[in-house]
Amino acid sequence: MNKNKEQLLNKRYKAEKRFRLYGQSAIFMALLFLTIFIFKIFSTGYSAFQKTWLIVPVTFDAELMMLEQNPSKEDLKDADYYDIALKSMADLDPNANENQENELKRMVSYFFEREIKRELLNDPSLIGKTKDVYLTASDDLDQVFKGNYPRDLPEDQRRVTDYQLKIFDQLVELGKVESKFNLSFFTYPDSREAELAGIASSFMGSIFSILVCLMIAFPVAVLAAIYLEEFAPKNRFTDFIEVNINNLAAVPSIVFGLLGLGILLAVFQLPRSTPLVGGITLSLMTLPTIIIACRASLKAVPPSIREAALAMGASKMQTTMHHTVPLSMPGTLSGTIIGLAQALGETAPLILIGMVAFVNTIPGSPLDPAASLPVQIYIWAESAERGFVEKVSACIMVLLGFLIIMNLFAQIIRHKFEKKWS
Amino acid sequence: MKKNGVKMIKINSKNVDVFYGKKQALFNINLDIEENQVTALIGPSGCGKSTFLRCLNRMNDVIDICRVKGQIIINDFDINDKSCDVVRLREKIGMVFQKPNPFPKTIYENISYGPTIHGMAQSKNEMDEIVETSLKKAALWEEVKDRLHEPGTGLSGGQQQRLCIARAISVKPEVILMDEPCSALDPIATAQIEELIDELKKDHTIIIVTHSMAQAARVSQNTGFFHLGELIEHGSTDKIFKNPENKKTQDYITGRFG
Repeated sequence: MNKNKEQLLNKRYKAEKRFRLYGQSAIFMALLFLTIFIFKIFSTGYSAFQKTWLIVPVTFDAELMMLEQNPSKEDLKDADYYDIALKSMADLDPNANENQENELKRMVSYFFEREIKRELLNDPSLIGKTKDVYLTASDDLDQVFKGNYPRDLPEDQRRVTDYQLKIFDQLVELGKVESKFNLSFFTYPDSREAELAGIASSFMGSIFSILVCLMIAFPVAVLAAIYLEEFAPKNRFTDFIEVNINNLAAVPSIVFGLLGLGILLAVFQLPRSTPLVGGITLSLMTLPTIIIACRASLKAVPPSIREAALAMGASKMQTTMHHTVPLSMPGTLSGTIIGLAQALGETAPLILIGMVAFVNTIPGSPLDPAASLPVQIYIWAESAERGFVEKVSACIMVLLGFLIIMNLFAQIIRHKFEKKWS
Repeated sequence: MKKNGVKMIKINSKNVDVFYGKKQALFNINLDIEENQVTALIGPSGCGKSTFLRCLNRMNDVIDICRVKGQIIINDFDINDKSCDVVRLREKIGMVFQKPNPFPKTIYENISYGPTIHGMAQSKNEMDEIVETSLKKAALWEEVKDRLHEPGTGLSGGQQQRLCIARAISVKPEVILMDEPCSALDPIATAQIEELIDELKKDHTIIIVTHSMAQAARVSQNTGFFHLGELIEHGSTDKIFKNPENKKTQDYITGRFG
């Protein structure tokens, strides 16, 4: 009898030990996946925050720029920079033939003319003089410099020619190639050229979409939740509504995209590809999430608080607004932020309502066409150029950073609220 | 309290039936409550004494499936009548619950809430005064006067319950209902509350539901005994405890069941 008991006890201890082990290995696995994932993204993405510049001497020849004596600011703006730009690139190799001159030109981005113009506008006294100007390297050379480009491929399979590589290596040796922080990644809109592509358009698009989504979804969801939870009679009809709110939360997001396409764009004729339409579509998706979170936190408010207020002679409305709702706010807010975070990462519905369009302007309002961060990732991931590979990871890093900041914010708000009374 | 030798009746209930859905919880209750006295409602668990108490300030309205029939007359007015406004009713009839349930706000805000929603104070000074008197009446002032702006939930259980009593009397109710106010408290806190109840009956009519017969005997002047939804016997506490008419009352009081 006694021995039997001991065996049972041992068995129990072993079972618990095993269970702990399973739990620990599960956590270990999860952490491992997360680490691999983050390492992969960082190792591919970090180089996108650096940009390669070629330092090229440019002679600001007034004659080539078709400038008269003592030009005004307007004249400088209208001047022809293409020829001096072309000449300064061609001058990198005095013996270059016409083909090679063309190749030299393609070593920098097509912005090179603008970069030279900016230099002169900043300092008009440069006319007639020669100055080293920073020009954005083409994305292929950028990748070569970062070591992401296989140089040992046969020439006909490369986008960089042997001649370009030769000149580039000379420049590197002379210290005329520099890597600097890639500010344009944050300030430029999307571009077909990897070296000029930035996230400004999609970042603003995401912000506007989220704001529109928040402004629509939050009040509607909170009012619906408060009414359903506190005021509505409990009958078949409200049960039916409740079931359908839960169903709504389970609807695949692409269906909401179709809804936006079919109703917002086709029937209401709202402007296509805009954060306004995107935000409304996302708000439909976020609505059930917030309603469910808000109702759950209303339910969690102890009934004794409601009774206390009612017994003091507070009306139903006062009880709800003075006591129940403020107490449920931390839960509601964190639910809202989780909903918004979901919406922020949502791609499918935005593709359907046209936010996948190539947008090379930065939107100034929710009514301007824009992309969004996840859609930007999708667009870049589809692009063939090697330069976009690192941009995809960098964009993911920005998106993740955005989400982490949002969640942190939610945590802080929540903590502050709850600390007060615990 | 007797005026010219006549008992003053504050609450008069006639043929009160209460149903939870199809189940009847109270059967034909006829009970008069004397003014400025403490009336104790005793009986075993589930006998309907709390249900009856909650009829008196219409707290049963909160429960969807609960229906109340019959008349409950307070100040010549039937509170079950459609014209009765629950907000005004509950302003006159305060309630203290079984578990202390202060609002998760400061001590000051706990007391000032009732007077604020009923517009009883015109200025900050008046409100300060109401808070002070209420806390003094609830014998809590000395303990909390230096931390009025700290959360009420940070007080001890007994203090929280006294805070709830202070909150209830802040709107100067005529009647205070107490639903087992000491069941979550230790003996010392219980003694303090009982003392307080005795003090409060000068200004208020008090009805207290209790599981403790000793408590009923200590604090009340009148007692009603409930069993299985019926009011078996009621009368002066002395009589109920010393000389009950009904066999069931006697069995319960002597501890043979319950």
